[in-house]
Formats: sequence, structure tokens, C-alpha cells
Amino acid sequence: MAEVFGVLGLFESADALLAAIPGLRARNLGRLEAYTPYPVHGLERALGQRRSPVGGMVLVMGILGALTALAFQWWVSAVDYPLVTGGKAAGSWQAFVPIMFEITVLSATFTAGLGMLLLLNRLPFFNHPVLHSRAIRGITRDRFALAVEAEGAFDPEAASAALAASGAREIEVLPAPGRGEPLTARSILDVLAGIAGACLVAGFLAYWVVKLAPVLPPVSHMLDQPRLDPQRPSAFFRDGRGMRPPVPGTVARGCLPIRLASPEAAALLVNPLPRTPEVLARGRAEFEVRCAVCHGVLGNGIPTLSAAYGAKPANLMTPAMRQTPDGTIYGVIVLGKNAMPSYAADLPEADRWAVIHYLRALQRAQNARDEDLP
Amino acid sequence: MGPEAAGQRLDLPESLRTPALITGTVTAGSLDDQVLRYPEGVPARKWFVAIGVSLSAMLLGLVLIGYTFFQGIGAWGNNSPVFWAFGIINFVFWVGIGHAGTLISAILFIFRKRWRTAIARFAEAMTIFAVICAAIFPLIHVGRPWLGFWLIPYPNQRGVWTNFRSPLLWDVFAVSTYFLVSLMFWYLGLVPDLASLRDRAGSRRRRAIYAILCLGWRGSATHWKHFEKAYLLLAGLATGLVLSVHSVVSFDFATSIVPGWHMTIFPPYFVVGAIFAGFAMVLMVLIVARETMGLKNLITGFHLEVMNKVILGMSCLMGYAYAVEGFSAWYSMNPVLHHTFMNYISGRYGWAGWLTIWCNVLMPQLLWFRRCRRGYPWMVLVAVGVTVGMWFERFVIIVVSLYQDYLPSSWHFYAPTLVDYGILLGSFGIFFTLVLAFARVLPVIATSELKADLPGSQPGHGGSHG
Repeated sequence: MAEVFGVLGLFESADALLAAIPGLRARNLGRLEAYTPYPVHGLERALGQRRSPVGGMVLVMGILGALTALAFQWWVSAVDYPLVTGGKAAGSWQAFVPIMFEITVLSATFTAGLGMLLLLNRLPFFNHPVLHSRAIRGITRDRFALAVEAEGAFDPEAASAALAASGAREIEVLPAPGRGEPLTARSILDVLAGIAGACLVAGFLAYWVVKLAPVLPPVSHMLDQPRLDPQRPSAFFRDGRGMRPPVPGTVARGCLPIRLASPEAAALLVNPLPRTPEVLARGRAEFEVRCAVCHGVLGNGIPTLSAAYGAKPANLMTPAMRQTPDGTIYGVIVLGKNAMPSYAADLPEADRWAVIHYLRALQRAQNARDEDLP
Repeated sequence: MGPEAAGQRLDLPESLRTPALITGTVTAGSLDDQVLRYPEGVPARKWFVAIGVSLSAMLLGLVLIGYTFFQGIGAWGNNSPVFWAFGIINFVFWVGIGHAGTLISAILFIFRKRWRTAIARFAEAMTIFAVICAAIFPLIHVGRPWLGFWLIPYPNQRGVWTNFRSPLLWDVFAVSTYFLVSLMFWYLGLVPDLASLRDRAGSRRRRAIYAILCLGWRGSATHWKHFEKAYLLLAGLATGLVLSVHSVVSFDFATSIVPGWHMTIFPPYFVVGAIFAGFAMVLMVLIVARETMGLKNLITGFHLEVMNKVILGMSCLMGYAYAVEGFSAWYSMNPVLHHTFMNYISGRYGWAGWLTIWCNVLMPQLLWFRRCRRGYPWMVLVAVGVTVGMWFERFVIIVVSLYQDYLPSSWHFYAPTLVDYGILLGSFGIFFTLVLAFARVLPVIATSELKADLPGSQPGHGGSHG
């Protein structure tokens, strides 16, 4: 005997369908299932079906959604990335309620919709025997079908006779779906292939556009806006310069000028800095950057840039130099001497004195006496 | 259905009986033939004209959006302090339009208002399309829409999480939830109708497309059992959304300290306005649909009249909300708030405030008259007025509150540019293009739901469902 899925008969009205069910159920020929164009009241009770579990599923998933949303927002806002907004505590939960609500609704909705379609109704199912029946055109329009579906020992003849006796017409025996070929409808595969092909083409197009996009001028209006670059001319000002010279008498930060009338006046200045390791380190750094190129790393007048200039740099280690007061050296740094230019612009006030402290340390180290040894 | 059936059995006078929701004789089969022939046939010439017009508007909008991306937001009229102008006005306007669909499909379903069945599908589709239009605006308003994914909280390389205390982020969640839930609700209702289309299909290709779309729905009692329960639950869940989405949108305003925005009436005020504007839009589209698609027997004068009653009720609530705004301004004894409110009705944009009141509160009072609730010219006048009025309401709330706030030194008048107007027109183009396309390819009336409601369709009730 060929595999049989069941026997199906059509009724003209919902009343006729409901009237036929109790008699057929009593005969226990197989599993009864009705197929209708719209939900018919009382049908599930007549067929003895259990209530739908959708409600419970939605409740559970809704609660889970709410808890997940609350926990996630709290963890992000209070633990992983604490952000104080409006002076509220990082974990204040009241602000999380709107998103909690949205996630609850979202998770409940998708449970109800997709859970119903995919889990409970086991869709998509394109190869169900009823879909291949002659009756399906009536079922989704205005006819009502009752099917006796094979269960255990099934006798199609008896089922057909019983359906006919209960008033069904256009009775047909539905063959079981062939195994191993879940999608027989070739056109469905065609359409799916078409969708896949369209996705592929769209993907390549998008890739191409993205690759091409850098060739197009980017949105660069921030860069193109009218502005004055440093050191560029401008017709806006009368002197034709884009940059404004500072107002006469402007003092840069940390460069309060000490008016040095002459080197003699400078000689009276006293080093204001204490001799601490920090000051000496600062002085050493500045000395090696500014001074050592000419005066040498040891300050002995042997330059690191050999014979770069015609002038002969001073040896700072001589006894005369060791007797020179701090103020005089300060004056030389600020005013320059012979070929040496002023370093006032390069060395801020404090650094000049730090360099002098370091120079004193160098002088002592170069002329160390026995008592200096530890 | 019990009380209704009982009511029918009582010998009520004609004026008190529930009017017929369907005129003429409609059977399950004739309903299919009437509604489903549109997706199957070739569109009429006027449909092509209509979609041509709306596609042109859409194209204009898209070109101007492209221009905005190239040029920057400077292409719009926005300035400091009016940072939020057309971008947010149009967003709030379109999200609001969507609310009617959810109200009709969810709240009226729960209340068992049977007149909703015939119009629910159209209204739900309009919800989805309106939310699509709405979602465009915040995205283009940020100026760099390709970074829109920064709004999604996911562990990222930037080492930054989103701020869950920001109403703007709530808005992202509210609107995207709203869109997904509406889409699910709409699709679920469509599944049985798509199965009908599949089984009527002439060609193999058409049959395959509908077969995939309806997932192989076969209408078994088991299917329907789960379906009905899930649909009811979805209606319940969407009911919360009707009230929440526009409330969250109003939080964008109400949680700030801008005078005129910082008010507790905002959430209900926004929800009412949304339903109000949405019903007006649904009404206009339904009038066109029933006239051009021959649906007068399914969408009757009674349907239009009930919708007009909803519009009238909402209009009165709007009047109340405006009055409360004025009262709050006066009662607060806050000179800044007082100034802002007076600016609504008297400043340089005073005309917009009065236009709002005229269109939203005064003109809909026409609907107290049965003649106006039933007569096309009157109801179209009111519906167009409400659409214009609701747009200007958002204009007044956003622009007029912003252009003169606490700091007089930063006051700056606002004027939109042509690009602003073009993009607004383009959003209407997108909306109507989607509506027209929907009317051609999908059943515009929920046939399987309506079949269940036809006289004599349910066992045991006899003819009481008429």
C-alpha cells in the first residue's frame, strides 16, 4: 500500500464542519484536523485540542527581556562605563525604565509572532500534503475542510466512507510527502536562487561604490572654509600680513623681562633658585641643548660641532670664569657677548638660573679636590 | 460577541442599532474576488499618474538629501540657537502619523470595535511607511548618517558605551521597537491573506513568491488557534506602544530645560496629537482608496463617520492641552516661560500659533454636525487642516521655543531654506510611493479577518453578526 497522509473532505459552511466532528471523533479513525479560511469559533474545543501555549511563552520571554535590559543598562552605566549625568548616581535605575519597557515589548512581540509561526506552527513548510491537494484553493477562500490524518493502523477506505457519511464532499486521499525532498516545488527554489543572486549583485555593487567613493571629493567643507593660515599674506589688513604682530609691550608667559642696562648691572643679580637635584637636572638638560654645541659638554670650550663657526668659544672652566659672579653669566646669556647671540628668547628666566647652577656644578667637578671625594 | 448579539435581539429603534459595517451582499468568496483582484491585475492609468507624481517628489527629496550630505547641515535653515528645526519637526510629525494605525489595529482590536477590521490593514501599512519617513530625519540631521550605528550599544573598538540616561537614546529604542513591532503585527495579519493569493495565483512564479511570503500557511485549526492567541497578545503589546512611543518622543523635549518644553503635560499632549494627526491622514488615504478601488461596500460612510468622531474627540483634547500650556505659563509666574508662550501667539511666528489653533481646535468643531462627518468636502477640509495644523504645532513647539530662550544675547530668528521644504516634500513622496506600491501588491483589506466577521460566518450565531 502506498504511503497515505490522510483523507480530506470539504464542507460548505462552518456549521456543517462543526456538526461532522463529534461523530468522526467517536469513530477514532485517525487524527482529526480542520482547515478553514478564517478562525472558526469553538473549533479547537470540538477537535479536543489543547490551549495554545503562546501566552506562557510571551510572559516568560517578556520578563526575561525586561531583566536583561535592566541588567545590561545597569552594568554599562554603573560598572563598565560609569557616566555621571545630571548629577544622578551611576546606578540609578529610574532612567533605565523606558528602554526596559521597549525591550520587554520587543522580546515579547518576537516571541509571539515568530514563536507562533516558526515553533508552534512549524512554518515554513512548503511541502505539506494539504498544500498539494485540490481542496487548498477552496480552503484559503471560502470552504471548510476536515481531514482524517493517518495515525497508526490507518484505513483510507473507512475514513473516506466516514467522511462521506458525515456530509463531506470532494473527498480526496492525500499521499504522504516523499522523503528526502523537502522542497519539491522547483519554482520556490528558482525564487530563492533569484533572491540570493540579487543579494550577491547588490553586495558587489555596494562594495564597488564604497571602493569608488574615495575617488569622489570627500565632504571637506571644514577644511575649505575661509580662514587665515599662519605666515600667509592677507589683503584684509593694511600691512598685508595675515598674522597680527603683538601689541607693543606684550609680554609672553614666563618671560617677564628684567631690564639689564649693562653687564655691570647684571653682575649684582643673585641666583634665586635653590640648588636641588631637580633644578640641576633642568639646568643640565638646557645646558646640553643650548650651550654644549659651542662650549662643549664639559664646558671646556671644545665644541660638539667642531669648527662650525669662525669664533673660538669660551672655556668656562678657567679660574677666571670660576670667579665670575652668577649675575655676570646671567647677563651674558641675556645680552650675548662677542660672537655669542642673546639666548633670552630660548631660555626662560628660571632655566637661565638653572643652567648657571649646573655650570657651577660642572666647574667644581672639573676641578675637584681630594676633600670632595666621598 | 455576546453583548452585541444580545443587543441585536432586543427590539431597538433603527437609530440605536449598530449600523451595518458592510453594505450589499458580501460572501467570503466575493470578498476575495473584490479585494485580491488588485494585486493580480494591471494598475489603472491614474495609478501610474499618481505614483509618477509621488516618485518625482521622492526623487526631489533624495537629491536634496544627497545635497545636504555633500554640503553639510548648513544647507538647511538651522542656526544657533535653533539647532532643531525641520529635521526634528518632520520626525515628530511622521512618527505621529503612524500612531493611528497602531491605535486602530491594537487598541480598537482589544476593545472589540468591529469597524476597525476593514481599515486596519491600510492603517497598519501607513504606520510602517510613516515610521520609515520619520526615521530618515534624525539620521540625516546628525549630518554624518554613516556613523548612525554609533547609536547601537555594542562592545566596540572606540571603548565608548551609549548613554542610557539620554532621552535621545530612549528615542532610538522606542522608534525602532515601534517599527519592528508594527512590521511584525502587519506581517502576521498578512500571512493568511498571502496564502489566499498563493492559491489564486495563475502563474507558477507568482505562486512561488506568495508561497514563500506566507511560509506555507495552510489554515489548519492548529494554525488558527496559535495565530489568534498570538495576534491578541501582539495587540496587547502594541497597545503599550501607542502610549509609549510618542511619550518617549516628547521626553526629548520635556526632559530639557528649554522654556516651553519643560512641562509635564508633554507626554499625553504628544500622544493625543499623534493619534489626531494619524487619523486625519488615514481618513484622507481611505477616502481616495474607497473611491478609486471600489471599496465603498466595505469601507462605508459609517467607517468614515466613526473616524471623524475620533478626530473630533482628539481635537477637543488638543484644545485642552493648549489651554493647559497657557495656564502653566501664567501660573508658573516664570517670566521666561511667559515670554515663550506669548511668543507662540504674538511674536514674529505668532501666525503659526494661531494657524495651529485654527486648524486643530476650531475647524474640527465642524464635525459636531452629522452633515460634515458624512460629507466629503467638509471632512477632507478638516483632515487637510489637521495635517497642516499638526505640522505647524510641532513647528511652533520647536522653532518658536528655541529662537528666543533664556539668553537674549543668543536670540536668532529662524527661516527655513528651499532645501528644507524640498526634503519635507520628498518625505511625502516617499510615504505616498510606499502607500501606492502597497495598494498594488498586497491585499489592502484584511480579508481573512473580515471573513470571520461576515454575517453567518461563525457557527451557532445565525445572522446576528450583521
